[in-house]
Amino acid sequence: MSNTGRQLKIGPTDNTSDQRTPRNRLRLIPEIARESFAPYVPQRGLSRQNDWDLTRIAPDLPRAEGVAIEVSGKLQNERGTPISNAMLEIWNANHFGRYRHIEDHSNIPLDEHFLGTGRVFTDSEGNYTFWTISPGAYLARPDIGRWRPKHIHISVSGGGSRLITQLYFPDEPNNASDPMAILMGDDFERNIGKPYETPKIDVDSGLNFDIVVGGRNAVYFE
Amino acid sequence: MKANMQADLLLPTNEDTVGPYFPINFSDPLLEDLSQFESGITAQPQGVPIILKGRLLDRYGELANGTVVEFWQANAKGVYRSPKHEGDSDIDPWFWGYGRLRTESGEFEFKTIMPGPCADRASNITITLFSDGISRIVTQIFFADQTGNASDPLLQSLSCEDQAKLSARHEGEADCGSKIYTIDIVMAGENEIPFFDDLIREGE
Repeated sequence: MSNTGRQLKIGPTDNTSDQRTPRNRLRLIPEIARESFAPYVPQRGLSRQNDWDLTRIAPDLPRAEGVAIEVSGKLQNERGTPISNAMLEIWNANHFGRYRHIEDHSNIPLDEHFLGTGRVFTDSEGNYTFWTISPGAYLARPDIGRWRPKHIHISVSGGGSRLITQLYFPDEPNNASDPMAILMGDDFERNIGKPYETPKIDVDSGLNFDIVVGGRNAVYFE
Repeated sequence: MKANMQADLLLPTNEDTVGPYFPINFSDPLLEDLSQFESGITAQPQGVPIILKGRLLDRYGELANGTVVEFWQANAKGVYRSPKHEGDSDIDPWFWGYGRLRTESGEFEFKTIMPGPCADRASNITITLFSDGISRIVTQIFFADQTGNASDPLLQSLSCEDQAKLSARHEGEADCGSKIYTIDIVMAGENEIPFFDDLIREGE
């Protein structure tokens, strides 16, 4: 019997986490109010013709610098039911570790051929695929020498599903010191992609990332 | 894939921080103003147009810049646009009830209509925050001048002090006629507002 909600934890060496993490335990939701906490996200459209291919800004433009990868996997709920027609919004840093975001003021170079944002939808079996450039790691805390490991941001929305997560790469030296990875503990393994070979397509390698939307996030797929 | 044998469920992918660089080019003006349907259409959602003006504050009273804020609410008749209510004659075809914006500064303005009270619940808007440094957190805000607050089961599960923190105040009208409501969402520290656990159920 639990009478209180979770106590959120602060990411070690993460100043923003210290500033913004609620200190009180989360409150339980009275049963009668639970449904109101489960948004149902309407389906939206794509904006660019090559939204699935982040390796180039447009189909008629050259490929960005670095290692081109395919990321693919299946989106499902905790019961293993595929989630179809969900939108994945994707963003990652370029080969050097810089975002083409107006608030990223780092001195790391931009790549004139890399935008770094895209969107795809899952198919009827919950499968998704996109291409991108393997992102560079970057120094997040120069004062203590702490790096952000290579990662790809993925936001899943559609119907009763809502999840924002990050895909990490295997055997990266900076994985162990990442504040959020530390909070995940052994569960961090589930956010690391599994490499596969891609002999027949125009990318250097593949990374499999099956995504399971947990908890109430899958409420309308039960 | 590893499964949780006890309940035969798959283990969920970990939620993670959105980071500071949620792409601004993912913004959709239609999700920031639910008080009107798509432009050029002769149609308007039912209800009283309101503007919710909010400030997201950290434990030092600084604005929480770069935060993604999502909104979920019932229509003017108190009906949510979810599969449970499919076919309900009180569905408003011109209103979905899901909104999203990214605030550069930590302040936001969300245009919508006043959600109707529904069975046992006072008018409310569910707010989901995605910010650098934290994973998804959720709360629900109410309107100080609306009826039904005194019997709302969620509000009544909180202390008077916490109830006040979740109550938006009516502060005048905008030039367009919309009622303006304001709220400070303090994420951490002394005046921290209540956040809710939508993963753990009562009694579990």
